[in-house]
Amino acid sequence: MADYIRRLPVYLLLDCSGSMMGEPIEAVRQGVKALLSELKGDPQALETAYLSVITFDSSARQVIPLTELMQFQEPELKACGATALGGALNLLIDCVNREVRKSTDTQKGDWRPLVFLLTDGAPSDLETFRQAAEALKSMKAANIVACAAGSRAETSYLKQITENVLMMNTLSAGDMARFFAWVSGSIKMSSKSLDAKPGAAIELPPPPQGFVVVP
Amino acid sequence: MPHTAEAILADGRKLPYVIQDDPPRGGMKYTYFAPDKSYVVQFFNNPQVAADPNTHKRLEAIIGKYNPTRSEAGGGAPGGSEAMAQYFSTRFCWPTDIVRSPEFGIVCPAYPANFFFTEKASACLPLKGKDKRSKWFTSPRNRQYLEESEIGDFRSMLQMSISLARSVRRMHQAGLAHSDLSCNNVLIDPQTGSCVIIDIDSLVVPGLFPPEVVGTHGYIAPEVLESMDLPAGHPDRKLPSSYTDLHALAVLLYEYLLMRHPLEGPKIYSPNSPEEDDFLGFGPQATFIENPHDTSNRPNDLYFTIHDLGPVLEDLFLRAFVDGLHRPNDRPTAMEWEKGLVKTWDLLHPCENPECAAKWFVLHDLRRPICPFCGTRVKRENLLRLRLKSQLRGRPGQWVPAGEVDVYHNLPLFQWHMLSGVFPDEKANRELQAYVCRHQGQWLLVNHQAQGMMSPGGNLVPTGHAILLRDGAVFRASGGERGFLIEVSQP
Repeated sequence: MADYIRRLPVYLLLDCSGSMMGEPIEAVRQGVKALLSELKGDPQALETAYLSVITFDSSARQVIPLTELMQFQEPELKACGATALGGALNLLIDCVNREVRKSTDTQKGDWRPLVFLLTDGAPSDLETFRQAAEALKSMKAANIVACAAGSRAETSYLKQITENVLMMNTLSAGDMARFFAWVSGSIKMSSKSLDAKPGAAIELPPPPQGFVVVP
Repeated sequence: MPHTAEAILADGRKLPYVIQDDPPRGGMKYTYFAPDKSYVVQFFNNPQVAADPNTHKRLEAIIGKYNPTRSEAGGGAPGGSEAMAQYFSTRFCWPTDIVRSPEFGIVCPAYPANFFFTEKASACLPLKGKDKRSKWFTSPRNRQYLEESEIGDFRSMLQMSISLARSVRRMHQAGLAHSDLSCNNVLIDPQTGSCVIIDIDSLVVPGLFPPEVVGTHGYIAPEVLESMDLPAGHPDRKLPSSYTDLHALAVLLYEYLLMRHPLEGPKIYSPNSPEEDDFLGFGPQATFIENPHDTSNRPNDLYFTIHDLGPVLEDLFLRAFVDGLHRPNDRPTAMEWEKGLVKTWDLLHPCENPECAAKWFVLHDLRRPICPFCGTRVKRENLLRLRLKSQLRGRPGQWVPAGEVDVYHNLPLFQWHMLSGVFPDEKANRELQAYVCRHQGQWLLVNHQAQGMMSPGGNLVPTGHAILLRDGAVFRASGGERGFLIEVSQP
């Protein structure tokens, strides 16, 4: 029988700038691996969630297009260059427009995508960033959670993208693991309690210990 | 770092539990495990819920006088014997104690081990230690990743269905409503055909303030979804109740038996947004995919339908999802489900195709004895029916139909196949009374321990002796007023 289950698109926007080199980028790699394994262990996530990875350094690229979990291949992540966060947001808008099925008279649309953005710095492409952040906010096409990692991350920029901003104090492997565990918890929760009420705000689990929700 | 803490219970006893970072968290509570994992200690996410005296009263009632897993003598539900309590203790993960310190919480037994996957469950998924939530088995997409030995067959799914209907009937009989029955709150083990209801703490208890439960997507009754935005206390707002349980129960049973969701079809309810489409499709405009009068949501490739489950279940599903989808009063009760499922169980027939994945099917139409899963036709010599008849009380010699049993090699027969007024519920005697076997091309019914069985010729059949089952033969299955008359029929 054909599949009538609505897909839940999930985009990970990962900072791979030079400052992430070494332990942080390795922790991100482990985090993605753990995230995938967690989601594959949840029947509702496995049925509904589709995952894509967009990385950004001096430029942005979609290293994994929106893919069902069983077909997902872990991306190679390398840290170098600047922080083209604006470019990443523009690319996200492109990908969402291209990959996320719209609701129409003849097609069941996907759920509003969930986007998790992780960065340890500030955008190096400020002009692009401002326009992209503006465009993204007005599109309201996705539920975005931004996480500022480490002391150099600038939460004020992230606030221009979304109301949901988290801060983790360090780029340690432990904090990174907790962040990805929380992301998988959020995806699992969304795949179960997918909003019954039209237009309601998304519900996410409380952030991990040691993380601060930026007001 | 994990370390051990101590929960102090309402009665002063102390129980150790292991504190871990970021403990598993559900919609209402988070969970810590006992050092030996034999029980869990759960605390509430929302401190207001934990502090609310209504929560305390409700949980005290649930653990005490409404507890079917404890005998009446042991402080549990009235009328509950030790055997009945034992029967339900494997079918519910019922809270056992209230925790007073370090904060308000509850203690629950751990799920039985067969509800956790082992490393053998799947070759391609990391499932070891995960609980067996039903979407693993009822979603064709997920099912393909499980090993064949995990997924059971049609008979084990039907067995689980009976068990679930019975457990819900038991709760409803006491006036309790679960309020959040769903694929996540009923764990299933198709291998053994068993299921266990978990998350019992948000039960609706008669006369007490109901808990704040939203429910789970796909299992919330349409009327609840529809009225969710009305302010609390509004007369039109529908809260979880036994009626909403009956919607969730029917959805689960449909999923177990047909491996799909009864409302998920191709119909587009709104082109505006997925949220609106979803809200309408599970709420005010919900349409059963097999609605015979409205085919707007019917997938065009349905090959196995409620019709293939036999007339009793077909009727119950139509009542649940056509008549009762938007009229809660018209939904079949859990008792009706239990009875209908048990009746259907007696019509099970093993498929003769050794490759058939379902292995069993409901042989409801003897004129068309074909497995609906694989299309294999049953050989004529393998078709045999027992028609049970019971004697009208006070009218000796007047017999009325009391059921039908489909015959196959090694068919077991129990008291409820021999005597009127016996129902295979938690109180029934489950000892084998007789069985049917195919021997040298003939069908024999062997008396194992039934008293007063008479042959068609009118002679007593002692235990260990057999009756030859031939078309048209009539015999007494058991002595006494309540003993059934059995008529053998071969089409």
